This record gives sequence, C-alpha cells and structure tokens, in this order.
Amino acid sequence: MSTSGASLIEVRDVRKTYRGANRATVVAVDGVSFDVARGEVLGLLGPNGAGKTTTIKMACGLVHPDAGSVRVAGHDTRTHRLRAVRHVAAVLEGNRNLYWRLSVRENLVYFAGNRGRSPREVARRCDELLERFGLGPKRDEVVAKLSRGMQQKLAIAVALLADTEVLVLDEPTLGLDVETGHEVRALLREIAAERRTVVLSTHDMPVVEELCRRVVVVSGGRVVTDALVADLLKLFQSRAYRVALAAPLPTEEVARLRARFALTVADDGALEVDLTGPGEVYRLMDALRAAGAELEGIERTTPRFEEVFRRLVQDGGAPGPALPPLLALKEATVAV
Amino acid sequence: MLSEGYHHAFRANLTKAVIELRRYLPNTISMILTFYAIFVFLLLGVRFVGDPATSGDAVRHLLVANGFWFLLMVGVNAMGWELTNEALRGTLEQLYMSTVPAWLILLFRMVATLLVHLVILAVLMALSMLTARTWLTVDVGALATILPPTLLGVMGVSFFVAGMTIVFKQVNAVLQLMQFVLMGIAYVPLATVPLLELAPTAKGIDMVRRVMAEGASLSAFTAADWGSLWLAGAVYFALGLAAFKLFERRAMRLGLLGHY
Repeated sequence: MSTSGASLIEVRDVRKTYRGANRATVVAVDGVSFDVARGEVLGLLGPNGAGKTTTIKMACGLVHPDAGSVRVAGHDTRTHRLRAVRHVAAVLEGNRNLYWRLSVRENLVYFAGNRGRSPREVARRCDELLERFGLGPKRDEVVAKLSRGMQQKLAIAVALLADTEVLVLDEPTLGLDVETGHEVRALLREIAAERRTVVLSTHDMPVVEELCRRVVVVSGGRVVTDALVADLLKLFQSRAYRVALAAPLPTEEVARLRARFALTVADDGALEVDLTGPGEVYRLMDALRAAGAELEGIERTTPRFEEVFRRLVQDGGAPGPALPPLLALKEATVAV
Repeated sequence: MLSEGYHHAFRANLTKAVIELRRYLPNTISMILTFYAIFVFLLLGVRFVGDPATSGDAVRHLLVANGFWFLLMVGVNAMGWELTNEALRGTLEQLYMSTVPAWLILLFRMVATLLVHLVILAVLMALSMLTARTWLTVDVGALATILPPTLLGVMGVSFFVAGMTIVFKQVNAVLQLMQFVLMGIAYVPLATVPLLELAPTAKGIDMVRRVMAEGASLSAFTAADWGSLWLAGAVYFALGLAAFKLFERRAMRLGLLGHY
C-alpha cells in the first residue's frame, strides 16, 4: 500500500471514547485528523487530558479507534498492526519502558531480539548508541540502579535501535533534573537533525519551539490548531505589544483598560497588551490618551512559544478574523 | 517464519529467562526450598499415616506429583505474575511495539521459562529422591515424548491467565486459587477420578507417573492414551490462545495495555 503524497502518518477523523469511573462515557479523542510528512518533526501538544496520549497510542497500534483510521506508511494500525509497527518505535512512558532487572546492554539486545534482530547484528549499533548517549560506562549496570535521567536516555536509545522511520516520543523530558533535561534535549536536537520523522508530545515548549517545524494542538479531544511553529510565532507577534509609560497608571485606570483589552502590567510598569487585530492599536492609543497616560514607547514583542500555546488552548484555536484562519494555516502546511 | 527473525526473538526471551534466574538467585533458591519443604512435609505425612506396605508406591506418586505441581505453578502462575509486573512497569506496551506478534513473544517466554525450570526441576527431584531414599525411573526418551503435549496444555492455561491479566490486571486472587486447582490436577491420580482426564495436562501427568513411578515403557500406552494426550494438549492450547486473542482485542479496544 502506498501513502498519499509524502505523508508517513495519516490520522483521519479518529474518535475514541472510554468508560469513566462512574460508567459515564468520556470522549478522549473526537474527530482528530492530521498528517505527518516524511522527515518532519511534529509537536503534538495540548493540556493534560486533551487526548494526546490516546492519539499517540492509536498511531502506535496500541489502542484501537472507535471510528476513523490511523495509517503508518500506508498500513492501518488497526487492521495491519504489525506491518504498521514495523515503521514505528516509541518512548511512551520513558524510564518505565525498560526491564529494571536487566542491564543497559541486555535491555537493548532484548528489545532488538523482539524485533527479530540478532545480538550480533545490533552489537555495533548498541555500542554506538551507548557511547552517543553517554551510557558506555554503565553498559553492564542493572537498570534499577541507574538515575532517572540515564533510564530515560536508555529508553530513547532502545527506540532508536529499532531503526524505524517514525519515532514517537511522549514526554521525553518529563521529571528530569535540569542537567539531565539539558542532555536529553541535546539528544533530541541530534535526532531531529537526522531527518527522521518524529512525533513529539511534550509540555516542554522551548523544545517544541526549537525542534518542531509544525504543531498540532489538541484540546478537549479536538484539534484546535494545526500550523507551522514559525507561522504561529509570527501571528502572535503581530498582536503582542509592549507599551512603555513615563509613569505607572493608577489602579482604577488599569482596571478600566483591562475591561477593554487583554493586558498585563509588567514589573517596570509597562503594559503588555494582546490585541485582536490591527485596528485595535488605534483604539488602545485613544484609551491610553483618555486615561492620561504619557507614552514613552510602543513596540511589538516576540512571544515565547509557551505563551502562544497557552493562548491557543485558551482561545480554542489560532487567532481571529483579522489574521489567517486555522483552515488557511492547515492548507499552507499541507502544501509545504 | 524464520525469515521474520522469530528465532532471534526466542533466543532473546530464553536469554532473558536465564539472566533473571541467575540475577535473582536467592529467589530461585527460596522457590526450590519451598517446594522441597512442601515435599518433605507431605512425605512425613505419607510415612506417618500411610500403610507401610504401600508407602513406597505412595512416595513415588508423591515425588512425581510434587514435581509436576512445581512445573504447573511455574508455567501458569509465573506468566500471570510476569504480565502483572509488565503492566505495572510499562513494558507491556513495548512488547506490543515489537514486530514479532505479542502472543508469539509470550509463547517463547513460556517455552523458555519451562525449559529453564525443567533444569531446576531435575535438581528438585534429585534432592527429593535422596531425602525419600526412593528412586524413580528416569526414561529420558519416554519423558521427552510425553512432556511436549502435556506442556502444550500448560501453555494453553498460561495464555488464558495472560489474557485475563492484560484486561483485569489484579488477578492475584485467581492466581492464588489456581495453585490449588493445579495441585489437584497434579496430585489426584486419574484412576481415582477418571473425569480428570478432561482437565488440562492431567493425562500427561498420569502417563509420566506410570513411567517414572511404575516403570512403564512407551509401549505400555495405547493409541487412545496418545490420542487423548495430544487432543487435550491441542484443545487447551487452542482454547487458551483464542481466549488470549479475545482478551487482547478487548484490551486494545479499551486502551488497557498501558494501564494498571
């Protein structure tokens, strides 16, 4: 079976419901669709309970969708699971994906064996990965005795040893200390540079901003945004302003402005305003003049991706009518 | 089949079984000692309350029964405990990310576990025979012929337990109950309860008992014996595997592979 276009993963209108604790039906994923192109690093983002993990598990053939389909390299993960899985390796629960009684090397060899590969065949690659991940000196150490960071790195090494086209990483930096988090991020940077197809689900927004070309943001089981990271940053940049004032505004004036604009007061008294459209700038100026504010300067600010993500989830999608709509962004992405 | 590298998967699972047994040597030794202690208590019971004229036969039967109980416990319950741990640890989903089908990996594990524990069983039997000063006939050819279909039934039950574990996770109560059911199958002779022939592995245990305790040769068994042995093994294996596949499908539908 061939894939449509250059998409390696095709998620089409998938829906998944679970029975909750009180037997009520919980909709985990509700009509999610997106594609992942070959060689693309895609961020699958969303708040907790948004349906990211369920979507990822459906892509890995671990959960069957109630409706819709997920295809990896043209193979349906439900009807041709083993064929699809041949193209995917995943780190789903980080350090929990390992056998703690086995050593570092034994884990690598064991998982490779279950993919039908001999210890001799993977020996060189194992050594290479152990060195690359800084696990060489720990190769004979039992996993239970490793730090969480080392276990996390080993879990990623196990997935890389599978040598699949697609790598799925669910929260690879979760719970790591600063130093190890830094090391794992460096590894992710290397993996992304290998032109491998990566689906990355994380709350680590600096990593997303740096590594992902495109993000799919899900909330409440639905896709709220599917856009290029660069486009999103540009969109949100065009509506974020910082207004420097000669003197801080009285509290009641700030409250009056807050009723009309989405603004916060920075530590230095400057106003950080999120405007919904170009015409809003003039309305803001009028309102500031009316409030008796003395302007020192106004500039566009570059939002961090973390802020963009927060707004996307809060607003339920990409910015409003004055800016390119979600559909346009999607089309732009597919055309790339 | 081999082109899929399944032999590498079998080797990986056999190696894992050996490594874990070695790495947890105290556990292995305590397991052997537990079964040895149970045997000693039962032996004392037989010697104390049994008829001295027939106690030799009773001890030989006890030796075989205790050995088989050990093997059944390892074959059936170990898979339940192991999968409970896999679900708890998060490795179960990784097994399902393998290109070798999960049921085949589990089958390899069962075979590996049984092979490794057959060696331990040999040590346990030798220790038990020394203690009882009673010797069993060890006809390797006969045992090698009877054991495979017998163990096929064990694996069928093991698949059923594995499937239940994947869906329900907390199967401790079932596993505890299972050890007494297995004890009954191993200890009660078919001659006493003929209906037991329908139970998994019971026919095989009875035939092994006749070989080891009564010195029967392969020619002592009729075509009906062999037919019953293979049929029971094949049916229980097929039923167990079918049940496992059903449980597996349910687990995937309900998203239970990664939950504990």
